[in-house]
Amino acid sequence: MTTRDLVFTAVGVVTALSALLSVTTKHVVHAALWLLVSLGSLAGAYLVLGQELVGLVQLLVYVGAIVVLVLFALMLTRAPIGPHAEIDTPWWQRVAGALLGAATTVLLGSLLLPLFSGATADLDTPTTTTPEVAQAVFGTWVWPFELLSVLLLVALIGAFAVSRLVLHREGAEDRRPVTAGAPAGERR
Amino acid sequence: MSDLSPWLEVVLRAVAVLAAFLVLPLLVGQTEHKVMAHMQGRLGPMYAGGFHGWAQLVADGVKFVQKEDITPARADRWVFRLAPFVALIPYLVALAVIPLSPRVVGADVDASVVLVLAVIGVGIIGTLMAGWASANKYSLLGAMRAAAQLVSYELPMVLAVASVALAAGTLSLVGIAEAWNPWWLVWQLPGAVVFLVAALAELQRPPFDMPLADSEIVFGAFTEYTGLRFAFFLLAEYAGIVVMSLLFAVLYLGGWSGPLEEWLGWLWTLLKGFLVAVVVIWLRVSWPRMREDQLQRLAWMWLVPMALFQLALTAVGVVVHP
Amino acid sequence: MADGMLPGLVKGLATTARSLTRHTHTAEYPDVSPALPPRSRGVIALTEENCTSCMLCARECPDWCIYIDSHKEELPPTTPGGRARQRNVLDRFAIDFSLCMYCGICIEVCPFDALHWSPEFEYAELDIRDLLHEKDRLGAWMATVPAPPALDPGSADPAEVTAAAKPPRGSAGVAGAAGGTRGAGAAARPARVRREATSATAVPAPEAEQTRVMPAAAGRTASQPAAEQSALLPPADGAQAEEAADQASAQGDSTQVLPTVSTDEERE
Repeated sequence: MTTRDLVFTAVGVVTALSALLSVTTKHVVHAALWLLVSLGSLAGAYLVLGQELVGLVQLLVYVGAIVVLVLFALMLTRAPIGPHAEIDTPWWQRVAGALLGAATTVLLGSLLLPLFSGATADLDTPTTTTPEVAQAVFGTWVWPFELLSVLLLVALIGAFAVSRLVLHREGAEDRRPVTAGAPAGERR
Repeated sequence: MSDLSPWLEVVLRAVAVLAAFLVLPLLVGQTEHKVMAHMQGRLGPMYAGGFHGWAQLVADGVKFVQKEDITPARADRWVFRLAPFVALIPYLVALAVIPLSPRVVGADVDASVVLVLAVIGVGIIGTLMAGWASANKYSLLGAMRAAAQLVSYELPMVLAVASVALAAGTLSLVGIAEAWNPWWLVWQLPGAVVFLVAALAELQRPPFDMPLADSEIVFGAFTEYTGLRFAFFLLAEYAGIVVMSLLFAVLYLGGWSGPLEEWLGWLWTLLKGFLVAVVVIWLRVSWPRMREDQLQRLAWMWLVPMALFQLALTAVGVVVHP
Repeated sequence: MADGMLPGLVKGLATTARSLTRHTHTAEYPDVSPALPPRSRGVIALTEENCTSCMLCARECPDWCIYIDSHKEELPPTTPGGRARQRNVLDRFAIDFSLCMYCGICIEVCPFDALHWSPEFEYAELDIRDLLHEKDRLGAWMATVPAPPALDPGSADPAEVTAAAKPPRGSAGVAGAAGGTRGAGAAARPARVRREATSATAVPAPEAEQTRVMPAAAGRTASQPAAEQSALLPPADGAQAEEAADQASAQGDSTQVLPTVSTDEERE
């Protein structure tokens, strides 16, 4: 049992616990904050495993941007302090959720553990450094990467189009149609 | 340093970073007191400590410690109490990885640029938590503004830093500063401007202090805070100035490059960072606060295109003249 | 982004940078005392001897912040078979500076120059009731009253100088002058001087130089110009009457004192 093992176990426990709390809490914003802890400690797990870049990108993208957006959206709409009655779920949903979660865990565990139980990696001299990750993404996997970015672009344009459609149906006279890429009211 | 046992070295480095974290923001704060005062034809603090009020911020700290720590009755207690630390600690981490010279660095991390950007992005969560948990409409409005602002300015900042990393061919701050040469002052100028503006916005410093706007929403997300917790938010702001200034110095001004850089490298970095901090203060004194829509327009209509242009320029430069 | 924004931003930076290099405007007050303009209105000083308890100041005061108590005293006739005279004796003169608005009307209306502006302003108190200055404290401020401003070079002589320069009209006036020149409040206020040395032309007589003390002192002497001044001033003057009373008591005569109560009856 090395220090690394200890740290990894601690980070993993924190990740799992906060994930559990995030789905069981009745406070909307607390759920988002627990999600934040979960994703952040997941980044910690990556770091412990020697995948520095992945961990940092996880921190930058998920903790720094996505959860901030989630929190922002929550606070902008309705997020009272204290338990939120509307997000209470009936008992059968909870049972179903717990069963599904447990089933997924068991499935993944039974699949991955036999596959990688024998695999070892020297973490002190990591083989996948930042340049190698870059080589892989922009070399070997460049076409899937580009395909993904196109997909995201399509989703972005679609989101803009949908929001414009809604605005038109509401019949705002002074708002002229705007092409994707610029928020409403920004064009002259 | 390498002769020491690893644990002792870790402790020593941590203590050094903590000391820098406690001293440098006070230095910037005192500079702000004095520079701002003289720019407005005043003297600023003159009494505390005897010589030109040098201990004013120490006295302020003592005052903050003495104050009662109030948590509003309807606030979300734990979130409210945790928020100042969430706001403060990211800057401590960021300061730890910013190198003053190739050898004077708290923790030498491989992808330190990404780390700094990542933890700075986390800092906003403290503001969001504070604003929401205070059970105060002004606080919530301040938090909303802060979040909107930071999400907008994160993008141009990351793009500007990406351009520098591209030019240097590395994600390490030490590597970037070593790859720097004076031509970068021209080549990376648009990126530097974008970075400085975005950094000001991330720090919520005037003219981007819409989230605090004391004439509109009292003090934004920090309205309900008193005593030490409030002081932590203020410390986070000034630590943020230190981090951003040092980062600017390392990324765009060559960090420790200068005469006698073998011995005085750390001093050059500190001096350059201090100059940037003075510029940050200067901008605060000179310019009025921007309106929320102007702020968003600046980010999306000017900074993002400029940052993209810089990225293209850097790419062309790297390809043509490797 | 509006046009002309960039020049404006640069101008703002230039302005602050310029004032950074210039002197500050901060008044370091407790360390460096301020350079007050002449005739600054700091506090009101009282020359008690000049006061006749005429109540003009108290009545004109917009804030009613002046309190005067006085009584009348009967003076025995100075010559056998003469008429006894009455005079006012000031018991209390107080200004409440927590009410005073420093308009200076009391000083303007005082016909006997008993009130003066002093530039002293450091008399703040922790208890607001201590801002009520009684006559001893008001009198102490007299030492800080600056000399009156010099007259213009071409101006006419001050009234007291011309009065003093006039030849006496009768022998009775001379006798009065001899008795009255050692006025009690003669040192109260410095003399008024002309801005340039014009004494050679304006003042012919050395005794006129000597009497050029101050308006109140000149009035108090009530010697040669008594006839002219009696048109302006009430006949019974405080200092002179007091001296007479002193002389009378020294001679062993019992002074008849007739106290009269004025303005503030609730204050004794």
